[in-house]
Amino acid sequence: MARKKPARYSAFDLVKRGLKNEEWPRLWDHHDLNKSYDAIIIGGGVHGLATAYYLAKDHGITNVAVMDKGYLGGGGSGRNTAIVRSNYLTPEGINFYNRSLELYGSMATDHNLNVMFSERGHLTLAHSDASLRTMRWRAEVNKLQNINSLVIGPDEVKKIVPSLDISRDAAHPIEGALFHPPGGIIRHDAVVWAYARSAAAMGTQMHQKTEVLDIICEGGSGPDGKGPGGKVTGVRTNRGDVSAPVVVNCTAGWATLISDMAGVKLPITTFTLQAAVTEPVKVFLPAVVVSGSLHCYVSQTDRGELVFGAAVDPVSTYSMRGTFEFTENLAGHILDLMPGVAKMRLLRQWAGLCDMTPDYSPVMGVTPVEGFYVDVGWGTYGFKAGPGSGEAMANTISSGRNADIIAPFDLARFAEDRLVGEKGAAAVGH
Amino acid sequence: MSPSRLPSGGAVIDRSRPIKFKWNGKSFTGFEGDTIVSALAANGVDVFSRSMKYHRRRGILTGDFWDPNCFVQVGDEPNVRAGHRLISAGIEVSAQNVWPSLERDVKAANGLVGRFLTAGFYYKTFMKPATLWPKYEKILATFAPGGAIDIESTPGRYDKRYSHPDVLVAGGGPAGMAAAIAAAEAGADVMLVEHNHQLGGHLLWGSAEDQKRAASLGARCIEVGVEVLTDSTVTGRYDGSWVAINQRNVAGETIERVVKARAKCLVIAPGLIERPYIFEGNDRVGVMTSGAARRMLNMYGIKPGQKAVVFTANAAGDAAAADLADAGVEVTTVDGRTGADVVRASGSGDRVEQVELADGTVYEADLLVTAVGWTAPTSLANMSGDRPSYDPSAARFFCTSLPDDVLPTGGLAGDGSLEENLTHASATGRLAARRGLTMRNQMRSMTPRASTGVPAPIKDASEPAPLPRANHPELFRSTTHGLVDFSEDVGSKDLWAAAAEGFDSVELVKRFTTATMGPSQGKLETVNTVAVLAEYLGQSIEEVGTTVWRPPYAPVSLGALAGKNSTPHRISSIHVWNKANNCKFIHAGAWLRPDHYGNAQAEAKNVRDNVGIIDVTPLGKLDLQGPNVPDLLELLYVNKWRKLDIGKVRYGVMVGEDGVVLDDGVTARLGEEHYMMTTTSSGAASIWEWAENWLQTERPDWDVRIVPVTTSYTSINVAGPKSRELLLKICEDVDLSNEAFGYMSARPATVAGVAESLMLRIGFTGELSYEVHVPAAHGLKVWEALLDAGKDLGVKPFGLEAQRILRLEKGHFIVGQDTDGLTRGASAGLGGLIKLDKDDGVGLPELRWAADRTDLAQVVSIALDDGMIVPEEASQLVDGETNTIVGRITSSRMSPNLGRSVCMGQVIPELAAPGSKLTVLLTDGRRVPAKIHTDHAFIDPEGARLRA
Repeated sequence: MARKKPARYSAFDLVKRGLKNEEWPRLWDHHDLNKSYDAIIIGGGVHGLATAYYLAKDHGITNVAVMDKGYLGGGGSGRNTAIVRSNYLTPEGINFYNRSLELYGSMATDHNLNVMFSERGHLTLAHSDASLRTMRWRAEVNKLQNINSLVIGPDEVKKIVPSLDISRDAAHPIEGALFHPPGGIIRHDAVVWAYARSAAAMGTQMHQKTEVLDIICEGGSGPDGKGPGGKVTGVRTNRGDVSAPVVVNCTAGWATLISDMAGVKLPITTFTLQAAVTEPVKVFLPAVVVSGSLHCYVSQTDRGELVFGAAVDPVSTYSMRGTFEFTENLAGHILDLMPGVAKMRLLRQWAGLCDMTPDYSPVMGVTPVEGFYVDVGWGTYGFKAGPGSGEAMANTISSGRNADIIAPFDLARFAEDRLVGEKGAAAVGH
Repeated sequence: MSPSRLPSGGAVIDRSRPIKFKWNGKSFTGFEGDTIVSALAANGVDVFSRSMKYHRRRGILTGDFWDPNCFVQVGDEPNVRAGHRLISAGIEVSAQNVWPSLERDVKAANGLVGRFLTAGFYYKTFMKPATLWPKYEKILATFAPGGAIDIESTPGRYDKRYSHPDVLVAGGGPAGMAAAIAAAEAGADVMLVEHNHQLGGHLLWGSAEDQKRAASLGARCIEVGVEVLTDSTVTGRYDGSWVAINQRNVAGETIERVVKARAKCLVIAPGLIERPYIFEGNDRVGVMTSGAARRMLNMYGIKPGQKAVVFTANAAGDAAAADLADAGVEVTTVDGRTGADVVRASGSGDRVEQVELADGTVYEADLLVTAVGWTAPTSLANMSGDRPSYDPSAARFFCTSLPDDVLPTGGLAGDGSLEENLTHASATGRLAARRGLTMRNQMRSMTPRASTGVPAPIKDASEPAPLPRANHPELFRSTTHGLVDFSEDVGSKDLWAAAAEGFDSVELVKRFTTATMGPSQGKLETVNTVAVLAEYLGQSIEEVGTTVWRPPYAPVSLGALAGKNSTPHRISSIHVWNKANNCKFIHAGAWLRPDHYGNAQAEAKNVRDNVGIIDVTPLGKLDLQGPNVPDLLELLYVNKWRKLDIGKVRYGVMVGEDGVVLDDGVTARLGEEHYMMTTTSSGAASIWEWAENWLQTERPDWDVRIVPVTTSYTSINVAGPKSRELLLKICEDVDLSNEAFGYMSARPATVAGVAESLMLRIGFTGELSYEVHVPAAHGLKVWEALLDAGKDLGVKPFGLEAQRILRLEKGHFIVGQDTDGLTRGASAGLGGLIKLDKDDGVGLPELRWAADRTDLAQVVSIALDDGMIVPEEASQLVDGETNTIVGRITSSRMSPNLGRSVCMGQVIPELAAPGSKLTVLLTDGRRVPAKIHTDHAFIDPEGARLRA
């Protein structure tokens, strides 16, 4: 495959090109579809692109097509609230998120594209004795795994985030918080572009507006050779058929629809999760603030906007129109926490799709259909795990067997009653 | 030259009422009806802000709500739309995001290096050395645009209102008014919502004739009973025609209101938004749209300049040229319809001094007015599921397919004369009335009554004849580059550069450059962005497409969205007594519950020694009646329920479909087909939903009626060895002897004279105890009677904290504290309770699997070797000196009755046997030895006290 070194990004080059009035080269090119690839990755979000990047970088597999029915980063990767953290509860989860946090930390230099990772600290508020106990549980487990996370009292909370109301007569008094200093926010679109640019430079092809209409299989127990026992041979797209021995499903909210095309059933239900952003004001909120019991989280971007998110909506749907009630509940809860923001205005609301599993943990790796891999079921925290899972998926695909780090998240666990316990502590986990 | 007030004119100002206010610390005077912008312009002010990135001076662009150049700070309110906000006496207005002042702003230096600060430049730098990034980030953050909030301020008063109009009209221009009038005349109940302060739309800044027409249409609206909301915006249309309105002109102390309307039919008549033109220097002070110039002239009597060039491609531009000339402005007209073009505005101090045309002609001018066409604000159509399509001959987008209950009119539907528009709008209004009234009649007819009381829908309303579309030249960008997004400082050159780098779809270019993402929400920017991108890519605007317009249509304050935002607390009838008696409360969900009355240890001891009473009203209570109640209980609980005698009580645990413990409680059989179920306090609502869900979706054939009665009763637990003695004094109609009323029984009772009470003999605390449920209105009376009657028995109230100690002494677990999201029934020590030989039960297959598992963590009672140590809850159990986790402490307390700490926890099965040695890692880092306790209970494992 054609390889070219991407243009160097630096202050020096900005000035040089500015003076010469020179355009920057494309981050990735448009291509015609080849007849065949070594692997096709469905879904051009963080997970799909990270998988493509590590396939190329760690395993030299570059005859790869990333296909997206829309544009790169148009799904959950561009709709999440861009919070990253690693203070999860289970060792399996922590392994993952901590590796991702590490990779996010070095991403700007690794990819020579500033993803603006802002390590600003992450606070999960406790409004009751019970949630304080859960925070302490997480802190104690984290401590044993060398994750920097500790329980702090209301006064310390106030020192870190002065806009929070810690008075005892608040509607939902703050009893304390789990403080995770390495947590923060990142420019989620830049993460997408960084992976796409680096993968494209190694020869991986990006195919936007390329919708996979069917997965072509043979030998399986279901109709058309799909299903367990069979293997994939390619995909049918709106731009024609393409053959490939490996097809990877990285489609989050659409995961079940895509897996159905290969005859693989997933225990996943798609729910919407809504988010919103305000007009900018001068920076006043230095950390990420999460309230599990009020189902909301907020951070302020460097541009001054407050970015809010919530828990998943109560009904399963693919509609991303969003609801008014979401904004009302959100505003009510935010004002409970930070009464001083009443005069800020909500600028825009949107929704994204979350692929929820029964144990709030992903489904990764091989499936009963040979050559068909999944990296789905991330629910509300896929973005945080993108880099780590891309690395592990690439490892899995190149070897044909599940990497150790993803073994606990295999599809078989649901049939074998080996659920992962992240749900215990993370009904709302941002 | 500065703008100035004309000696006369100005349709919306009252020159007899001057108002004083402050701008950047200096006093100014305007008139009633003036906006901040018009009042300042009348005083010669022409600069209102600095741009976000280059900090260039900015003046009036559109002179209305959407003007991105006129965002100001008013008191502690940031980002106020100065082109819309009316002045009021004493307000303190200041420029935002400038230092040290609006006129001398140091960050204007950014303009010098502008060529290096192309859109997205920050993605390409500040990476090395990595350690410096946090410092770079802090500096970048100082460039955040916008005003400032006062984090110590408290929200003022906001409220909400619900409304159910037959027809809701969004937009009070001529079309909106005509539609509203026609709908009201047809009998519909109509609400008309106008974004600006007056009805009239573009007629307001039109000729005297136009203004007269606006006034008469407005008067007619009132006459026919249309409810008019001005200075209010329809911010969103959600599924089910759920329409959100932000009402800003609210009387009294209320700051803003949200009206939630279930519109049976929605007419969208937002008019059109004038697009700025893209050319070099288009953000200079003195460049404005024709709408802005006419608003200043005709609404506020302000002359916006002395020498003007009017670049016009339509009637609005022609009218602006005429109006300016009438006001004494020297006007040069450049007609865009003939191919003439403006390529450059230049001058000093960011102002317009010269205007250069494509043919090289240069005019001296301090005002450049552009009229190059319109953006159709299709937001509400978008939110109704429509994807608008672009019509190149009219140079704007139109709706394509809308649901039946959404009807567009006015500029959104087409062009034509004012009369043609009014005709279309009237027909639209009649059709909307027909549809709205048809629906109201259908809804009303579902409840039988003599007359529906709803006017019959008119029969002769049908789709209006389509409005003609006028040809309009496609004028988006000149041959030079200029600004596209004024609030984000993004130019057409930035968009091209982004497309060249690969951000070549509208969504990608938006995300990379931030064009359309600022506070103007793309109203002025989206179509220009698409057009510039289409031009670069050599595609049509239709091919490039637009981004999705998302709610809200105009930004809404968080205060208004939250509304009154009073979070109610639930309290029992005993709350007043508790408050008066030194009770410390604890928040438990929405409930305020008594935590303790000063000394929980003493309270717990008194229960074991004498008798205590606790208010347990939040305990979930479901009244179950019907022949299939035993079937339901057998389905929901893990144990069996078909053989429970009347008057008996049984304990049960519920699990989810994954076999994980969900809730627990007791259920009493009160009669042949009558049961009372109790749930945990936190499960009161969710278990009701859970039971109803199973009944309604899985077992609709079962005859079970569920009534939640949690708050119908005040619930008091009377616990302790002297509890029987105490109840004997105030309860006459129940034989309380152990033989007649044994452990796990229920009796109807009259307590302290209160009939229709219920007594359950159960014991969460491990003591002889009676749970007394009395009709809520009499709860306080019974509480006081118990205290009074029990004086000589040593009765004392106790709170949740004492109850936690008592239950822990007894080894009773709390669902969600000692169990977690993975605790299967068997691991919670319920082995004996779970019946796997049932026909059916929620989670039964999973329970069967779990029964065979040997690897599940177990819930156990734990005693530290040093009983003086109370380990913090969540302390981990580790394998010796390693960091391997083998379990955790889930509950811990000092027991006043044993004089040592007592704990519960979860451990791996290998360590769950009584006597197994454990290591507890305290939160301070110490490791201390502990053992699994011999029994679940620390006190009275045989249950003798319970059964006494």
